[in-house]
Amino acid sequence: MENSVFTISNLNLHYGTFQALNNINIDIEKNKVTALIGPSGCGKSTFLRCLNRMNDLIDKCKISGNVLYHSEDVYQKNYDVISLRTKVGMVFQKPNPFPMTIFDNVAYGPRCQGLKNKNQLYKIVESSLKKAALWEEVKDRLKESAMGLSGGQQQRLCIARAIAMEPEVILMDEPTSALDPIATLKIEELINDLKKNYAIVIVTHSMQQAARISDNTAFFLSGELIEYNQTDVVFTAPKESKTEDYITGRFG
Amino acid sequence: MSSKRKIIDKLLQITTYFSAIFVVLILSLIFIFVIKNGYTLINWGLITNDYHAQFYNGGIEEITSYSNTDKPDFLTDNDYYSEKWGIAFSDDIDREGKTVIVVSYVAIDSPLNNMFDKNNTDNLDFKIENGNIVTSIKFYDKPSALSMNGAKKMIEALDQENEFREIVFSSLGGGIRGSLITTFYVIGLTLIFALPVGIFTAIYLNEFAKKNRFTNFIRGMIEMLTGVPSIIFGLMGLAVFVPLTIKYTPATSANILSGSLTLAVILLPVIIRSTEESLKVVPDDFRQASLALGANNTQTTFKVVLRSALPGILTATLLSIGRIIGESAALIFAVGTAVKDEISIFGKSTTLAVHIWSLMTDEPANIELASTISIIILATVLFLNLLIKLISRNYMKRINQGG
Amino acid sequence: MKTLISNIKNLFHFNNKREALDKIVKLVFLLATIISASFIVIITVFIAEEGIKPFITDNNGIGRVDFWKFITGTTWLEGTTFKSNLYGVGYIIVNTLYIAFLSLLIALPIGVLTALFIAKIAPKKLSETLRTIIELLAAIPSIVYGLFGSGVLLPMIYNLAKSFGVQSPGGNSVLATVFVLVLMILPTITALSEVAIRSVGKEIEQGSLALGATKTQTNFKVILTSAKSGIFSSAILGIGRALGEATAVSLVAGNSRTGPNFGVFDITSTLTSTMLQGLKETIGIDYDIRFSVGIILMIVILITNRGLNYVKRKIGNVDVK
Repeated sequence: MENSVFTISNLNLHYGTFQALNNINIDIEKNKVTALIGPSGCGKSTFLRCLNRMNDLIDKCKISGNVLYHSEDVYQKNYDVISLRTKVGMVFQKPNPFPMTIFDNVAYGPRCQGLKNKNQLYKIVESSLKKAALWEEVKDRLKESAMGLSGGQQQRLCIARAIAMEPEVILMDEPTSALDPIATLKIEELINDLKKNYAIVIVTHSMQQAARISDNTAFFLSGELIEYNQTDVVFTAPKESKTEDYITGRFG
Repeated sequence: MSSKRKIIDKLLQITTYFSAIFVVLILSLIFIFVIKNGYTLINWGLITNDYHAQFYNGGIEEITSYSNTDKPDFLTDNDYYSEKWGIAFSDDIDREGKTVIVVSYVAIDSPLNNMFDKNNTDNLDFKIENGNIVTSIKFYDKPSALSMNGAKKMIEALDQENEFREIVFSSLGGGIRGSLITTFYVIGLTLIFALPVGIFTAIYLNEFAKKNRFTNFIRGMIEMLTGVPSIIFGLMGLAVFVPLTIKYTPATSANILSGSLTLAVILLPVIIRSTEESLKVVPDDFRQASLALGANNTQTTFKVVLRSALPGILTATLLSIGRIIGESAALIFAVGTAVKDEISIFGKSTTLAVHIWSLMTDEPANIELASTISIIILATVLFLNLLIKLISRNYMKRINQGG
Repeated sequence: MKTLISNIKNLFHFNNKREALDKIVKLVFLLATIISASFIVIITVFIAEEGIKPFITDNNGIGRVDFWKFITGTTWLEGTTFKSNLYGVGYIIVNTLYIAFLSLLIALPIGVLTALFIAKIAPKKLSETLRTIIELLAAIPSIVYGLFGSGVLLPMIYNLAKSFGVQSPGGNSVLATVFVLVLMILPTITALSEVAIRSVGKEIEQGSLALGATKTQTNFKVILTSAKSGIFSSAILGIGRALGEATAVSLVAGNSRTGPNFGVFDITSTLTSTMLQGLKETIGIDYDIRFSVGIILMIVILITNRGLNYVKRKIGNVDVK
């Protein structure tokens, strides 16, 4: 597809002998929010981690198939993984700010890439925090520890941290499941805003959340991609019966 | 990534490799040094001999029969043998470089097995033995044979005679029997004092004490002991336990008893903490089940809780033994540094570790014997550590399987 | 107070023999606990009692030791032993702190880097082996380190000094003492730092990698900073050991009688080596003064501990880049 950032074809993943992903074919569109839904253990988080090769950290993980990022297979030999991760950012389920100042957290990524100029760093930190809708709340305490922020603020900090790298895609692994409803709402508003500039792939347990914020939805079940379509289609007129069962709450 | 980045990255990685290599190197060096310098002295005599050389003057009364043994095959050309007397001498060099004559063989039927001790006529079963050093043999009608003339000359002089006035010889010394026995005594006594007090304290703190400020205060006081260096404990032993033992026991100076009491105090925090850890692991259900069956607290404690906590207590004991064997500073003050061959718990002596200290502060320092003792200590500590590992692994397995 | 009294009252009220036995046993346990807790007091009191003597008694005619001169003195003893009361421990305090902190300065980086290697970089089998090696090093008694220092380091340093044109008495020197102490506190620092590093949450590590940092960057910039607190604790423990180490130091230090001694090839004295010096025959003021030095040692350790713990709390709040 023209608008794809990621084109995945025939993706299979094994943890040892257990097959976690079975023949996944999907395109991720630019500037859209793609939601991955499905019951626990269906492979959606596993799939997400294939996109930025975070599955490399797990032993005994075997992958076959193609994961093309801008027509280049990210799993090919000598592919620059570090560089991939600067363009495909990730936000985790449990907010994980580093035990450093708020400023240092956001500036971490750019610093790792060699940026030292204080003014540039400051600009990046400011703009990232603004885009993450956190600036107003922390602008006076950038030198304080990030651990002093609330859960919701920490998660937005993690989003700002990812944004600071100016990625093209942001992967989010159940980013609001550890947060209270108000913080969740704030993050959902943020996502809506972010999609103007980034492609977002979000794994979510909540179908309501998927319905609220996503443009495309992919339904996973037992390692297989059952259905992938525009969100309103999936939720109002699903093609597969399994999808309909899941959505209407017959299982999962 | 820029190449400068890559270089810094690699450099940082290399520093970690180097540090690890350094650590391995040090361990190897220590072991190599100790073994190289110490292994030459390892023999059975080391463990059974006295440390201090004993000097003897032997005389012979009536010789009923002479020896009839031929020179044994295992003796070399450097061993000079007298068939009449059934004894072989050889030349050797002592630690200070002087030439000495060593007895390398005594036949069973040698008349030299039935000598009398000129310094102590009550001494029965007095004889010259393999390994003794002969200083001189004094004859009736000819000049004495001296060690500086060599073994061959001495054997020839002896062989020509049917009797002699006196034979001056000494035992080798340099044995660590005294220190070994002391170490065992110290381990035993220390454990006798430390285990009950420590275990009972742990039981009280874990099973009976309420969580209030008083208990926290007590715990704090015990925790403070861990930060005190052992030399300070030594001072305390000197100031408290030595006068105490002098007053109430036959002791007249620092002694093994006072040393053990001192070590017991050092080990208290270790034993308490270890026992408490293993007590904590015992599920409350055990205690409640026991109480519900009508047992009182004491019975519950002894029959149920302690039994489950046994591996932890065992580990604490092994750890303590390792610590006792290695302890030097505290004992230097609380027991003294006099190496002895006759051991009494009311008298001074040295453990293996303190013996090393004594050897190293002599002039000149006896590095060989010190290394030999180190080999023994290291081997024992290694063995203990392995034992502890095995026990904890088994214990963990049992816990996970629901023991 | 009220509960204490009612507890004591309860003690003497029992229903039957078994209950009586129960109470007696509990009493025995309590007794053991009180004994355990009282030792720290016993230590302080008795050492203080002996150690104060040189300052307040006449020392059999030799005269009182002046406390101020003692604390600030730059010479251990002016005059002949058993005839003089001019003891000075000031320079020894400086020496001890100097050597201890120098040892920490060298051992800390080596220990932390090794810990990082074991926890994050080495493959599993190698990690296991290295961990065992560290445990073995920790179990080696101090006297054996002293033997090693005396037998191996001293000759090496003697030759090293010669090549610099410095005449060193058998190699006894600040350098030898620092080296031996580094070896001795290394296992402590490495083991504790390794635990601290391993307990840094995986999510922190993943967060860093997901931002495009390399493993090494992650290790140094994020993991070490997260383990700061544990690493600092290991340093505090290490320096406690360095300050209190006696037998090993006394075999390599050289017993300097005046100071302070800062040069690497200078001989030196520490508080502990001074306490051990010439122990074989000593009485009177020379004997008592060791207790005084012991008091000073305890005070030095206490102050250093308090100070470092204070710094540790501060570091916990300020974040380092």
